[in-house]
Amino acid sequence: MEELIGKTWHRLICQTSQHENETARIHLSDLSWPLTLFYRALGGHPGKKIVPAYATRFRHKRRLIQRIAGTDQKHFISWQDEEHLNLPPSIAYFEDATLNTSLYYWLTAMSAKLPSVDHWFEDNQRICAELLKERPGLKKTYHKLAKACIDKRPLLSELQNNEYEREIAIQDALLKPGNHHTLPIAKGDPFPVWIWLYPAPLRAVPVKTDEQLESGSNKQSSKQNSSESRKMAQRIDDRKQTDGLIVFQAESLFSWSEQADLDRSQIDDMDDDLISVAEDLDIVSVSRQRRSGMAKLKFDLDLPAAENDDLPLGEGIRLPEWDYRKSKLIEDYCLLQPMLADTVEPTALPEHLSNIARKLKKRFSILQTQRSWQRRQTFGDEIDLDAWLQNTTQPVRDINRQDYYQSQITNQRDIACLLLADLSMSTDAMISEEKNVIDVIKDTLLLFAEAMTDAGDQFGIYGFSSVKNTQVRYHILKNFKETYNDMTRGRILATRPGFYTRMGAAIRQSTQILSMQAAKQRLLMVISDGKPNDIDQYEGRYGIEDTRRAIIEAKKQGLQPFCVTIDNQAHDYLSYLFGDNGFAIVNDVSKLPLILPRQYLKLTTMNA
Amino acid sequence: MQNNHYYLPHNREINIFNFAAQNRLPVLLKGPTGCGKTRFVEHMAEKLNRPVYTVACHDDLTASDLVGRYLLNPEGTYWQDGPLTRAVKEGGICYLDEVVEARKDTTVVLHPLSDHRRVLSIGQTGETIKAHDDFMLVVSYNPGYQNMLKGLKPSTRQRFVAMSFDYQKPENEMTIICQESGINKETAKQLVSLANDLRRLNDHDIEEAASTRLLIYAAMMINSGMPAKEACMSCLAEPISDDKDTLAAIERIIDTYFES
Repeated sequence: MEELIGKTWHRLICQTSQHENETARIHLSDLSWPLTLFYRALGGHPGKKIVPAYATRFRHKRRLIQRIAGTDQKHFISWQDEEHLNLPPSIAYFEDATLNTSLYYWLTAMSAKLPSVDHWFEDNQRICAELLKERPGLKKTYHKLAKACIDKRPLLSELQNNEYEREIAIQDALLKPGNHHTLPIAKGDPFPVWIWLYPAPLRAVPVKTDEQLESGSNKQSSKQNSSESRKMAQRIDDRKQTDGLIVFQAESLFSWSEQADLDRSQIDDMDDDLISVAEDLDIVSVSRQRRSGMAKLKFDLDLPAAENDDLPLGEGIRLPEWDYRKSKLIEDYCLLQPMLADTVEPTALPEHLSNIARKLKKRFSILQTQRSWQRRQTFGDEIDLDAWLQNTTQPVRDINRQDYYQSQITNQRDIACLLLADLSMSTDAMISEEKNVIDVIKDTLLLFAEAMTDAGDQFGIYGFSSVKNTQVRYHILKNFKETYNDMTRGRILATRPGFYTRMGAAIRQSTQILSMQAAKQRLLMVISDGKPNDIDQYEGRYGIEDTRRAIIEAKKQGLQPFCVTIDNQAHDYLSYLFGDNGFAIVNDVSKLPLILPRQYLKLTTMNA
Repeated sequence: MQNNHYYLPHNREINIFNFAAQNRLPVLLKGPTGCGKTRFVEHMAEKLNRPVYTVACHDDLTASDLVGRYLLNPEGTYWQDGPLTRAVKEGGICYLDEVVEARKDTTVVLHPLSDHRRVLSIGQTGETIKAHDDFMLVVSYNPGYQNMLKGLKPSTRQRFVAMSFDYQKPENEMTIICQESGINKETAKQLVSLANDLRRLNDHDIEEAASTRLLIYAAMMINSGMPAKEACMSCLAEPISDDKDTLAAIERIIDTYFES
């Protein structure tokens, strides 16, 4: 009963103090792709990603009811750091949904022009004024937004002295941007200005650590918390190794004991509650060390023992990596290890695939029978008028030449395709009761190979995963020269997911292999399930920029890279990596085995 | 010849072309669609007072389409010169537009014409024609467009004096749009800024951005009374993308210049 009354009271008081309009709420997730394009078009950096911002605490004057309800303390504001453009996860400030949408575009336009805010009051006005001058189409929307914004600001009558003057200055600056130079100083923070940008919070600046990360695998659950808002991060410097070391003799410690009755049955189950604790916290401190306080043992528990692992071929291949921060290709930075599963049993095609395989084979076999006209034949389907004319007009005619026919012949396809599959740990995720992503990838590889044998095109299949730059594991599933048989099938079926995704190195190696194949069209197809990442610095923008570099190199070699991905969020970064027409997103993972061959057909018959 | 073609130079291309013409060297023009390559050739032909034979190249273009072929008439057969042969005989400019589209075996007939020999051999008649002194071979191609599949063979490219074209500087592009469409300067300026916004999306988000040609179309439509936003949507957005989300984003970009 107590709880019920509490809840009702909370709902009631929150509702009365709330000034958002739920019916007009617009979510960032629905707009992220158009906003990304908008941002790039208006001059924003193409590598930056638009992400939902976390709420920031403001110390401004609140009305009594808001204080009672405990609302209005935190607000979503917009800012940029080196990698991200942070926008509110959803906007419902105004009654009019189109105005809320416009606010998103307005903030994006501002961000594209103002990568970092130094003087909050001045910079915002300056950019507003510039934008309105350059883009007169924005005027109407801006004035609507500014007016609506002022309507929702604290009433002037409720403010006194300095706070009053400051509010006047802000409201005036909103109406006539560029007119005000100094903001009167007053107590607390001014009420947030929704249509302005804020400087990046100091706490979000990452602490640089040279230390390599441990590869911990104490994942709480593979399912991502889908909550839209993020938390302010604070990176604490916990590299000091001496913490907690006792420097005096233990015998000299006084000790006593007493009995205390504690019910620990609830405390034991702390993991479950971490998420709700995180939601209550304003700042989540992140340690660079996964298991602080525990003894550090430096070996990779992840890696299988040598006798259980695939056979490493040779000493490994050294490959460069692109560091965007230095704008430099670091030579010999990655060690790629080609691997071959040498102990697998020859296996036939699994039963559940045979039906689809038959259909695909039929479709692909048509490729071999595509025809075109061949002229000047001694016999054929039709008369070759050109040939006859030419012979007729010769001053001296060759009576023995009777090549006046043309006939249809089968087209020669001259295509080499390298299929590169992501075998990182993330492919272990389940998609249904009995299947996980890696199973679908295996099915795809098998079906593709089945179909390709009937198309007669050259093809190779490789897989990759990585553990830092020192071990990029490159699995040879089918070489170009090998015939596809039960042995290769066995190898494909024996693949296991593991480790991370250092995509750049794998693409570079594939580029080398593929450029050795003699063919008119050379296709590099990548199957992936997410962004490039590894446990060292290879994450976020670093991984993306390196992969992009590797793809540009492949294109320079005359190869045609194409990516098929099952990552729904991939639109944001894949177009930057592979180009507009360089990728396909598969929404339903189980369709992948059918979509890949279809994409292949599209890519190879486009120019036939 | 035809009426005067308006042409505003990007750089020193007029000079380079003049020197190439003086020395009877073939010319290769590179640049994105609709940046003024064809217009430049027409302009130069006018300046040099030579006829221009333009061939738009395509997949099925054969050597006889360039050189010529025998045709039939009631009396029997007769030989018809192709555009290349005519230019070689009369001393004109033969302009092969989008030369990469042509099959590789077709471009081989250009080889003896594009080096010091300057001869055209016609296989069908067994003739070898020495090129007129005023004959000039000009080819163009668009490096961004499917270049990974169809590049020019190095042995072909190495025979040309090459120059790169890009979209004009904003001020120049504005002048061109005003000149071609008769639109006012203010609108032209906004059209050009809009085009430059869209060009930032080039390569990764859209295959090829709005060309000067499309800008002129849009300007002409606006000048004849069409609402600016509508004209931009139909001339600058729809032609460059089919993706719904991309079009929505482009519409927003257009909105920042022209309110609906």
